[in-house]
Amino acid sequence: MKIGHLTLKVFALIILNDLGDTIAQALMKKGLALTGITQVTMSNLAEFVSKGVSSPLLWLGILIYALNFFVWIVILYKIDISIAMPVGSFCYIFVPITAIVFFHERIDPLRWLGIICILLGVHFVSQSKPPDPSGGPGCD
Amino acid sequence: MINILLLVLLAEILTAAGQIFLKTAANDLESHDLKRIGAHVNFLLDVFSKPALWTGFAFMSLGLVAWLFALAQGDLSLVFSLGSSQYVIILFLAHFILGEKIDRMKVLGTFLVVLGITFIAMSH
Repeated sequence: MKIGHLTLKVFALIILNDLGDTIAQALMKKGLALTGITQVTMSNLAEFVSKGVSSPLLWLGILIYALNFFVWIVILYKIDISIAMPVGSFCYIFVPITAIVFFHERIDPLRWLGIICILLGVHFVSQSKPPDPSGGPGCD
Repeated sequence: MINILLLVLLAEILTAAGQIFLKTAANDLESHDLKRIGAHVNFLLDVFSKPALWTGFAFMSLGLVAWLFALAQGDLSLVFSLGSSQYVIILFLAHFILGEKIDRMKVLGTFLVVLGITFIAMSH
C-alpha cells in the first residue's frame, strides 16, 4: 500500500485528469458529429472512416485521451487506487453536464439515477480490501 | 440502443483486456529505486521492453476504435455512462486471469454499477 494522504496537489491532479477526460470525450464526440453520420451502416462505413480520420477535433480528442492515460498512471504511482478512483469518477458527473451544455442533450431522471448508482458502485469497488501483503497478484 | 450497448461492451472488453496486459507487464517489472539519479531511464527501458505492454496498447487501441463507433451513434451522456461497464469486466478478468480476490465490497459495487447501467439503458 502507498501512503494514503490525498494532498491538495494530488487532488488537483485527479480533477485535472477528470477534466482532461471530459474534454477528450467532448472533442471526439464533436469531431464525430461533424462527419454528419449518426448511423453507421455497411453502405456509409467507408465515408464515415475517411471523414473520421481527417477530423482534427477527433485526433485532438484522441491525443488528450492518450496523454490523460499517462497522467492517470502518475496519479496511481503517487496515491492508492482506493482514493484515486472515487475522485477519478467525478467525470461521470462532468461528462453529462458537458453533454447538456455543449451538445444540448436531455438527461431524464432515470439516467441521472443510473449515474448516481454508478458513482456509488465505483466508490464501493474501490473501497474493497487491498490484497494481502503475502505477495498475491496486485501487490506492489 | 442494443447496437450502441454492444459496441460499448466490445470497446470495454478490448480495453479491459488491454489493462490486464498492462497489469501483467507491471507485475513483471524489476524493482526500481526511482529516487536514484538516472533510475528513471532504466525504469522506462524496462517498461517498454515488455511485450505485454505493447499487446496491452494494441488491445486498447482497438477498444478506442469500437468506442468511437459507439460515440458517433449515441448521445455523449449515454455512451460515456455505459462505459462504466469496464469496472464489471475488469473485475471478472482480474479474478479469472490474474487470480485477484473478489470480496463483498466489490460485489456490492459491481451490482450498483450494473444497476446504474440498466437504468441508463432504459432511459431516454
